[in-house]
Amino acid sequence: MGGVKKILASPAGRFMARYAVILSVGFLILALKPVNDHVVNPYTTFVAHKARIALNLLGENARVDGQVLSSSRFAVQIYNGCNGLEAILVFVAGVLAFPAPWLRRLVGVVLGVLAIGVVNVVRVVSLFYVGILKPQWFSISHVFIWQSLIILLSVVLWLVWVQRYAPVHATR
Amino acid sequence: MRRSTRPDSVSGLLRRLPVAVVLAVGVWLVVRPVYNPALAWVTQGVARLTEYPRATVITVEGSYALIGRLDLRAGSGRLKYSLTQVHFNLVPFLALCFALRGALSRGGWRRLGGALAVLAGSHVLNLFLQVKAFFAFNLGPWSAVHYSNFERNLIGGARYFSDIPVTFALPLVLWVSAYPDRVLGILGLGPGEDAGLPHR
Repeated sequence: MGGVKKILASPAGRFMARYAVILSVGFLILALKPVNDHVVNPYTTFVAHKARIALNLLGENARVDGQVLSSSRFAVQIYNGCNGLEAILVFVAGVLAFPAPWLRRLVGVVLGVLAIGVVNVVRVVSLFYVGILKPQWFSISHVFIWQSLIILLSVVLWLVWVQRYAPVHATR
Repeated sequence: MRRSTRPDSVSGLLRRLPVAVVLAVGVWLVVRPVYNPALAWVTQGVARLTEYPRATVITVEGSYALIGRLDLRAGSGRLKYSLTQVHFNLVPFLALCFALRGALSRGGWRRLGGALAVLAGSHVLNLFLQVKAFFAFNLGPWSAVHYSNFERNLIGGARYFSDIPVTFALPLVLWVSAYPDRVLGILGLGPGEDAGLPHR
């Protein structure tokens, strides 16, 4: 107990504890079946529709059926793990756990979620074209390149928010 | 001398990150041909420790693991699972470490080694859960006979947590845990920190 109190006595300890709790609770909530059915799946379909709009702007004539995005040339199914929610949660947990005024945390969450959402649409669209043009590169692009980039993006956005928008030691 | 005592900053870390990513990808590419069979071998050993008869077999074909059982007919289903999906998070983790100034000095190698051991453990656990999920869900009547609904739910839930939260959040958590003073220092949260305040 003394050790925990000592850790929580410092801003760093409180930040790390808050981060771990928010992240764990967030992923636990996302894992619940009602949340998966009524939030995660509709959000994934929303991501598919955003990608469809982007593809149609590029003249692809794409359509969405559930979480399947398709055109006459290619089709992909967007699964949980490819919808950007995991990157959003890693970012949001970092922002909410960090000692900053609540308004700045709120602005950070809104801007960060928007940015990750936009990049995720770029991810889906780019993978769609990789699937059309270089199908042999699809797996490595999907699994390795984009997943690594999405993790790094959430960390980089959080660091940028910390640097630019979160005055350190403003609140505890 | 002055350079070595100057505190690190978020800007500095972000400037170094692209080169660090390239370096991390290079390490991953070099290590992968050795790591894939090692991961499959260790996971096969762990899987066999948890079963009787000891029939799990994991072979490596390129960057895929072929998962099956020795006690089923040769024509029975086998799972082809991407090992890149299991260990790609090595790249963001290494990139974040390499981007941190002085991360490998003054005992930094030991901290990096410890964190990599934890990450490798998470890879073994992830592949182990893919094996168990394959056996529990995808082998038809054999699965129904050998796994109860409770076991299936347990394995499915554990696989979700390994596939998504652990895979995506562990690089960041390990980075902060391996270098708490440096990372929290650049965030302005280090113990008695004022030199490491973000530069505006």
